[in-house]
Amino acid sequence: MDNKCDYKSGGLPSCAPLAMAYVPMQDSAKPTYDAAEALTRGTLFPGLDLPFMNMVNKGDLTGTPLGELMALDFVAHELVLYLDTHCNDREAFEMLRDVMKLANEAHERYAKLYGPLMHSDLEESKSFTWLKNPWPWDYCGKKED
Amino acid sequence: MFVYEKKLQYPVSIKNPNPALAKFIISQYGGPDGELGASLRYLSQRYSMPYPELKGLLTDIGTEELGHLEMVGTIVHQLTRKMSPEEIKKAGFDAYFVDHTAGVYPQFASGTPWTAATMQVKGDVLTDLHEDMAAEQKARTTYDNILTLSDDPDVNNVIKFLREREVVHYQRFGEALRLATEKLDSKNFYMTNPAFKG
Repeated sequence: MDNKCDYKSGGLPSCAPLAMAYVPMQDSAKPTYDAAEALTRGTLFPGLDLPFMNMVNKGDLTGTPLGELMALDFVAHELVLYLDTHCNDREAFEMLRDVMKLANEAHERYAKLYGPLMHSDLEESKSFTWLKNPWPWDYCGKKED
Repeated sequence: MFVYEKKLQYPVSIKNPNPALAKFIISQYGGPDGELGASLRYLSQRYSMPYPELKGLLTDIGTEELGHLEMVGTIVHQLTRKMSPEEIKKAGFDAYFVDHTAGVYPQFASGTPWTAATMQVKGDVLTDLHEDMAAEQKARTTYDNILTLSDDPDVNNVIKFLREREVVHYQRFGEALRLATEKLDSKNFYMTNPAFKG
């Protein structure tokens, strides 16, 4: 793949068979947002960040151990989807390995502090803490009353 | 197999219950272009996909959609907590309430139950990828419409995240289509169906 296009555009064949749809390939996994901004914006890739009516999320969700973990897991997931269609991109794979390491560490830290995220986290637990509240759909913010 | 992870992909924390909003956001749970249909579409299409890139992408996006189903269910759950009978009637939530109380049921905004008739598994690589690209655009439009109608920032933050995911998925399915056509006969992409060798 050539890298003649800027990050908001991608390569297309100069001549292509008729009667087929063509979406340009994303030429590179770079540039990227940092993990916090990626989670806030809903994508790791500024070139794919295309909001409706300029409605854009702001702020940083990574101020808590859970937010930090969500951001790292999200970056890893974005890179996996990118690699599914760019499986020979070594640089992107190295980025995935780096963020996976941070995400695994954040996962362990979170599970130690707040309880298991997965059954496999119970190995480190002294009792069956899987049932511990809150569950992901529980409202944990300020009481509205 | 699947392993549950006890967290959402993106945080959902809605301060103000609002059943009037839940009435139409439920459509992204079990509506015609919602997350239940998205996950079942991709996870079901995987079996007839002949190429590893497509097996991987459908598995990974289909799994993410299950996470989105959980996020939309969480929005509906939090919007419908602690409702008084007066609030239920005022919000026009009474028809839903009488059938499902404050449970989360996969249905269209119009009340029709979720149906597999809104999705397709054609068993043809090119056809299924076109379906998937169209599905992402339909979901994006639905999220645009939700953003047009909703003025709750706690809800809209989550909806904006989910909407952006549709844009990214569209790109990936488009790239998957490119990869698929590269493996086909460029003189006639429709010469055979590589997913079915009779």
